[in-house]
Amino acid sequence: MMQQNNNAILHIDHLQKKFGKFQALKNVTFDVYPGEVFGFIGPNGAGKSTTIRTLLGILRATGGTATLFGKDVYKDSVSIHKRLAYVPGDVYLWPNLTGGEIIDLFLKLGNTKHNSKTDEMIKRFQLDPTKKARTYSKGNRQKVALIAAFSTDADFYIFDEPTSGLDPLNEEVFQKSVLELKKQGKAVLLSSHILSEVEKMCDRIGIIRSGEIVETGSLSDMRHLTRTVIQFQTMQPTPNLQSMKGVYNVTLEANGLTTFSVDSDKLSTTMDYLSDKQIVSLQSTPPTLEDLFMRYYSSDEGR
Amino acid sequence: MENRNFHQTWFLTRFSLKRDWLKLALWSVTMVVLFAAVAAKFTTIYDTQASIDEIVKTLKSPSMISLFGKLSGSAPYSTADVFAGEMTVFMAMMAAIMNFSIIIKNTRGEEDSGLLEIIQSHSVGKLSNLASSLIELFIINLLIGLFYGIGLQMANLPGTDTNGNFLLGLGLGAAGFMFAAIAAFLAQLVDNSRSATILSYVVFGIMYIARMSTDVSNPKATWLIPFGWVEKFSTYQDNNWLPVFLMLGLSLILVVAALWINNHRDIGSGLVATRPGRSKAYMFLRGPLSLFWRLHRTSIIVWVIGLLILGYTYGSIFNTIGDILKTNPAMESIFGAGAVHKANVLIIKNFISILMIVFGVLALFPGIQIINYLKTGESKGYLELIHSKPVSRNYLFTSVLVLGMTTSIAALFAAIMGLQLGGMSVMKHPVASSVFLNSFYAYISPTVLMLAIAACIIGWIPRLSVFGYLYAGFALFIGYFGKLIDLPKWMAKLTPFGFITKVPVHKMDISTMWWQLGLAVILILIGYIGYHIRDLKSAN
Repeated sequence: MMQQNNNAILHIDHLQKKFGKFQALKNVTFDVYPGEVFGFIGPNGAGKSTTIRTLLGILRATGGTATLFGKDVYKDSVSIHKRLAYVPGDVYLWPNLTGGEIIDLFLKLGNTKHNSKTDEMIKRFQLDPTKKARTYSKGNRQKVALIAAFSTDADFYIFDEPTSGLDPLNEEVFQKSVLELKKQGKAVLLSSHILSEVEKMCDRIGIIRSGEIVETGSLSDMRHLTRTVIQFQTMQPTPNLQSMKGVYNVTLEANGLTTFSVDSDKLSTTMDYLSDKQIVSLQSTPPTLEDLFMRYYSSDEGR
Repeated sequence: MENRNFHQTWFLTRFSLKRDWLKLALWSVTMVVLFAAVAAKFTTIYDTQASIDEIVKTLKSPSMISLFGKLSGSAPYSTADVFAGEMTVFMAMMAAIMNFSIIIKNTRGEEDSGLLEIIQSHSVGKLSNLASSLIELFIINLLIGLFYGIGLQMANLPGTDTNGNFLLGLGLGAAGFMFAAIAAFLAQLVDNSRSATILSYVVFGIMYIARMSTDVSNPKATWLIPFGWVEKFSTYQDNNWLPVFLMLGLSLILVVAALWINNHRDIGSGLVATRPGRSKAYMFLRGPLSLFWRLHRTSIIVWVIGLLILGYTYGSIFNTIGDILKTNPAMESIFGAGAVHKANVLIIKNFISILMIVFGVLALFPGIQIINYLKTGESKGYLELIHSKPVSRNYLFTSVLVLGMTTSIAALFAAIMGLQLGGMSVMKHPVASSVFLNSFYAYISPTVLMLAIAACIIGWIPRLSVFGYLYAGFALFIGYFGKLIDLPKWMAKLTPFGFITKVPVHKMDISTMWWQLGLAVILILIGYIGYHIRDLKSAN
C-alpha cells in the first residue's frame, strides 16, 4: 500500500493497557487507511477486544497513543463516535425490547434515523424485527448490531468477531456488505478467527500475540515469512537436505515420497539442490493463512 | 426410573451451597446476630415491669400495630412478649428479602444467563436445579431458625421458655422457606428473573398491606394471609405451632406446583409467553434517558403505585390512631373539643414522623436501582453498544441521576399523597395538607443525599454498588427500631435521615436541607469525575 502515515484514519502507536498488575496490551502499533479492510487476528486472550475497547474509549490506555480521525480516542470519544460504527463479538440486547426498536435506538443515538438502507439490511439478513430480544439466538442478536452498523453512514467500522454466530448464508451477506463499504472508501477494522473470511476480505493483516503486534502487512507480504510445504521424489538420494538452511521436518513417507517444509526465502536454493538430483515428481503447497496463524499462535515457534 | 427428574439433585445442592456459601453466610450471620443482639439488649431496656407496661401501651396503639403487628396475649406482659411482638414481623420481612433474592437468582437467574442450559445438558434431572435450590434454602432457613432459638436460649430474656424460643426461631425459619416457595412458584409463571422479582414483591406488598389492615380492623382475618401467620405464634403465651405447620403446608403445595410447572414448560419460557412487539421504535425512544425510562418503566410504576397504596392504607387508620377519646373519655369534658382535636392531630403527626422514614427509605430503592444500572447494564454487556455511540459518559451519568432522583422523589410524593388521601377518606376533620407537604419537603434532602452517595460509588467503585441498598436498609432499621430498642442517639446520625428533626411534629430545618443538598452536589460531582476517568466493564 502506498499510503502515507498522515492520511491514516486510525493511528495506533505503542498502545499499552494494564489491568492492575496484568499487562493486557504491551505494544500495539498499526494504522488503518481509508478504503481498506484491516484484519486483526490473534489467539484468544491476546488483546484484540481490549485493543478495540480502548479504541472506543471504553477503556483508558495506560501508555502510548491512539487516534481516530486525528483525535484522541479517549478524550474526543463523543465526536469520534459520530463517524464510527461498532459491532461487538458478544452482542447483549435488552431482553424486553424488540430487535426493531433496538436498531432504531442505535440509529438515533448515532444521530441518524431508520432509513431505506435499514430496511434493505433487515431484508438482506432476514431478521424478524418484531421479536423481543430475549427470544433471539446469538446469530440474530449479531444481526441486530450488524444491521444498525451497516445502515449507519460512518467512516470507520469496527467488527469484533461479528460472524461467529451467523450461518454461511448470512456470513456471505456480511462479506458482501463489507466489500460495499470498502468500495465507498470506508475503513474497516475486522477482528476474526475465520481465516477464509480474513483471507477473502482483508487487504492487510495485523497479528497480535500476548498484547503485542507481532506482524503487520498484506497477506502476500506475509507469505514470504512462512514456509512452503514440498513433496518430491528424486532419482538420486538427497542426504544434505536435512542440514540445509531453512529446511524443516524432512520425512520419508511410506510411498517413497519425501516431504519437508522450507522458508520462503530459501525456496530457490533448495530447488536448485533438488533439481541436481533429478526430480521425478514435485508438488508444492503454498503457505495458507492457516499456516501463518499456526506459526504465530503456537508459542514455542513464536518468531 | 422414579428419580430421572431429580437425578443429581443432591450433588447440585452441595454445589450450590459451596457456590453461595459467602452470600448465605453473610445473610445468616447478619440475621442471627441482629436477632440475638436485640434480644440481649432487651434484657437491659425492659427490665422493670413499669418500662414493660409503658412499651406495651405503645405497642398496643393502632399505629404500632400497623407497623409491627398485633401484640398477642394479655397482661401481665414480660420482656419476652415485648421482644416477640416487636421482632416477629420485621424478621419475617428480612427473611422475605433474603429468600426472594437467593431463590430467584438460583432458578430464573441461572436460566436467564444460560448457565442452566449447560448444567441441564449433563446427566442431570429436569427438576434437579429447582429442587436443589429449594433444598438449599430449606437447609439455610432451618439453620437460621435453629440459631434464632439457640440465640434466644442464650439471651435468656425474662419470660421466655424453651418451647417459645424454638417456636419463634423455627417459625421464622419456616416463614423464610415459605417466601422461597412463593418466589419459586411465581418464577415459573414469568420468563425472566426481573419479572419474577417484581411479581414476588408485588405479592409480598399485597400481603403486607392486607396484614396491616386486618391487624388494625379485624385481627382474626389475619389468619387468611400467609404473611400474617407469623403473628399467630402467640409466642410465650399460647405457643401455637399451628401457623408453622400452615406455612410448611403452603410451602409444600407451592413447591409441588412449581415443580409441576417446571416439568411442563420449556427452558427459558414461562406460562406467560413473550409476544412479538413493534418493528420500529416509538418516536419517544431516542436516547439514554428514554431508554432507561423504558427499561425501568414497569418497576417505576410498581413502586410509585405500591407506595401510594401503602400510604393510603396507613392513612386510612388515622381515625383509629388519632382517637384519643377512646383511651381518655373524660378528656373532652375537661379540655374541650378543640384541645382534643389538637391532641389527636399531634398523635397522628407523631405517627407520620415515623412513617416518613419508612417511606423515605422505600422510595430510595427504585432510585438506587436506576443509578446502579450503570453498573448492572455494564456488567451484563447491555451498555457496550451505547458506549460506542456519540453519547458522552457525562450524559449517561446525568440520565440515570435525573431518572433515579425523579423516581425516588415521585415515589416519596406518592406515599405522602396516599397517606393524605387515606386520612381524608376516614376523618371528619382531615389533617391539613400543609402537614403532608412539609413532611415531603423535609425528606427531599436526605433522599437526594442518599442517592448522591450511590452515584458516587457507581462513579468510582462500581463493584460496591450493593452498598447503596445496604445503607438504605440500615437507615430503615434505625428509623423503624431505633427508639424501641433504645439505640444510642449517635447511631441515628449515621444516615442522612437521622438529621431530620421529627417532621411534621417539628418544623423542617432549613439549614439541614442546605447542607445535605450541598453535600449531595459535591458527592455527585465527585461521582462524575470517577465515572469519567474509570474503565468501563464489559460482559466478558
